[in-house]
Amino acid sequence: MVLEIVVMIKQVPDSQEVVIDPVTFTLNRSAARNVINPADENAIEAALRIKDKVGAHITVITMGPPFAESALIDCMSRGVDDAVLVSDRAFAGADTYPTGLTLAACIKKLGKYDIIFAGEESTDSSTGHVGPGVAEFLGTDQASYTSESWYDNGFVYAKRELEDGTEVVKMKPPTLITVLTNANDPRRATLRMKIDATKKGIKTMTLADLGMPPEWVGLKGSPTVVKSMKAIDEKKREGKKFKLEEIPKLVDELIEKKIISI
Amino acid sequence: MVGLINAVPPENLEDFKNVFVFIELRNGELSRPGLEMIGAGLNIARKANEKLVGIIIGDNLEKLADEAGSYGCDIVLGAEGKDLKEFRTMPYSHIIGEFINEFKPNILLIPATRNGRDLASRVAVKSKAGVTADCTELDIDLNGRILLAKRPTYGESTLAEILCRRHRPQMATARPGIFKIPEKEEGRTFQKDIRKMQIPEEMMGKEIIEFIPKKSLDLTAAKIVVSGGLGLSKPQGFAVLESLANEIGGVVGASRPTVDLGWIERDHQVGQTGQSVRPDLYIAAGISGKIQHIMGMKLSKNIISINTDPNAEINQYSDYIINDDLYKAVPALTEEIRRRKEAKK
Ligand SMILES: Cc1cc2nc3c(=O)[nH]c(=O)nc-3n(C[C@H](O)[C@H](O)[C@H](O)COP(=O)(O)OP(=O)(O)OC[C@H]3O[C@@H](n4cnc5c(N)ncnc54)[C@H](O)[C@@H]3O)c2cc1C
Ligand SMILES: Nc1ncnc2c1ncn2[C@@H]1O[C@H](COP(=O)(O)O)[C@@H](O)[C@H]1O
Repeated sequence: MVLEIVVMIKQVPDSQEVVIDPVTFTLNRSAARNVINPADENAIEAALRIKDKVGAHITVITMGPPFAESALIDCMSRGVDDAVLVSDRAFAGADTYPTGLTLAACIKKLGKYDIIFAGEESTDSSTGHVGPGVAEFLGTDQASYTSESWYDNGFVYAKRELEDGTEVVKMKPPTLITVLTNANDPRRATLRMKIDATKKGIKTMTLADLGMPPEWVGLKGSPTVVKSMKAIDEKKREGKKFKLEEIPKLVDELIEKKIISI
Repeated sequence: MVGLINAVPPENLEDFKNVFVFIELRNGELSRPGLEMIGAGLNIARKANEKLVGIIIGDNLEKLADEAGSYGCDIVLGAEGKDLKEFRTMPYSHIIGEFINEFKPNILLIPATRNGRDLASRVAVKSKAGVTADCTELDIDLNGRILLAKRPTYGESTLAEILCRRHRPQMATARPGIFKIPEKEEGRTFQKDIRKMQIPEEMMGKEIIEFIPKKSLDLTAAKIVVSGGLGLSKPQGFAVLESLANEIGGVVGASRPTVDLGWIERDHQVGQTGQSVRPDLYIAAGISGKIQHIMGMKLSKNIISINTDPNAEINQYSDYIINDDLYKAVPALTEEIRRRKEAKK
């Protein structure tokens, strides 16, 4: 019986390209290219490593607009077997609750799942809530913030990196794992596989396929609302210059202003 | 498990009362981020004239409950059991879910530590409610007792105010290192409700087979951070920063590429994909000041930049600038501080 792995990925604006508006201090996202959320690339790689070792069938899923297809094709070109785009106008404006619900419903539709991978968080909403939310909807166990994971003899193992140390856990499938940004070195797509992936194509699911009422998902299904956005007041910085020989003067000032104490 | 169900608002919002905080334990003690939740919760509870309820989960809780009381909880609600000694998502989220059903909190705050975030998203789904992640400001609108949760977004450039008007509890995780721990007051009166719990084996979830502790480096707790970037040009450069950090009473931070190159451990990394710090003093040596680094340190109270490039972006964010070779400036700074200390003796 082959191990079934699902990886949840999200397309985000490339944070290296987003430009900060000098007046409003908000990001100009429209200027940025869309990329796979960095942590999700590490999640894909974590899944592929399990496939390399013990064999597995991997499905990558995303809830997003139609152009997210390119990200899915990219994943397939790295060795992922199937891809599903969950896309519907009704999903727009979802916060983490309906996003988790929609993804969980999609995973349930796929049938059997042993391990679900997600990134630790996305760079554009950075909550880290979607992964564990999906685990709760499906009633599976979870291991978040992992640097490594493996499958052995019917059990899933993972290393969780916590503030005060590393925790090694053992879980029964099905379970969900969230992967740290930089946990591994993601492989690149090959041209050969890119051609195959494009030929194979992706599957799509709509709200109707998931069989949920429209008011459960998207903006309508979101318990949280953004009331306002304000530029963070930046402290005005003086930028006082000190030469090497003026370091004693700098230290005087630091002590005087109680920034350091001797 | 809630099954596949939408976020359903409760019928009577008036039934939901009081401010609950999850006081995370670490090494069998009340953790700093946990105590900070008491601080964050107290402000709101006092303003709304409601009770502050501290939740603790673990083993041998009597003494810890007393301590939580002395920090300002009106009620300490505990779940105690041998199997609960270590944090595990399944039993912990189950217990908090049960507490929510029984006590109907209006507000629930959880520290945005790794285990706290792990827990919060599950508890939110369990209670069919929303949660605002990683807040840095929390307040209450007395009209409707609505939690006003603010969090930095878009790379710390913008502060978003997020509300959850109709669902209960109103949940938020709060960023460590931001909220003040209240003064301890021995002998305060408070209520204690510690329950012995036996969690059925099948509900325990994962088994923790090993824990490898590390010398915990909490950059967010440091008053002074001395960070180095690629301008160090070699891994040994961090030793120079270490000397300054030791002399000045700080810890060493780093830019991401130095971590990627293996010059220093990842837990030293400051920035978007590292830790966010706001110390009294941040010293950036050989760091150019790319936005992803700036995001993690720009709220520092004072910033010194040491950079050979007079036009380095970091200078725009700096209170003090030393435009010179860090291998000259850092030792000079270290030496000057050492001299002052000697003089004082
Ligand atoms: C998704 C994403 C996330 C990222 N997250 C982070 C993050 O969390 N943290 C982070 O730091 N970066 C992060 N980065 C990387 C970031 O964009 C920059 O590449 C990085 O911060 C640059 O590091 P640096 O300043 O050390 O190196 P450089 O940009 O190479 O700067 C080196 C500086 O040292 C100066 N210098 C050289 N020699 C000396 C000398 N002898 N004395 C004094 N000064 C000298 C130079 O003038 C220069 O300004 C991220 C990038 C991406 C795409
Ligand atoms: N729209 C989405 N489609 C698929 N996966 C998602 C989506 N949003 C979030 N995720 C997954 O959940 C993780 C955490 O995202 P977030 O909660 O937004 O920080 C991401 O790294 C993805 O693995």
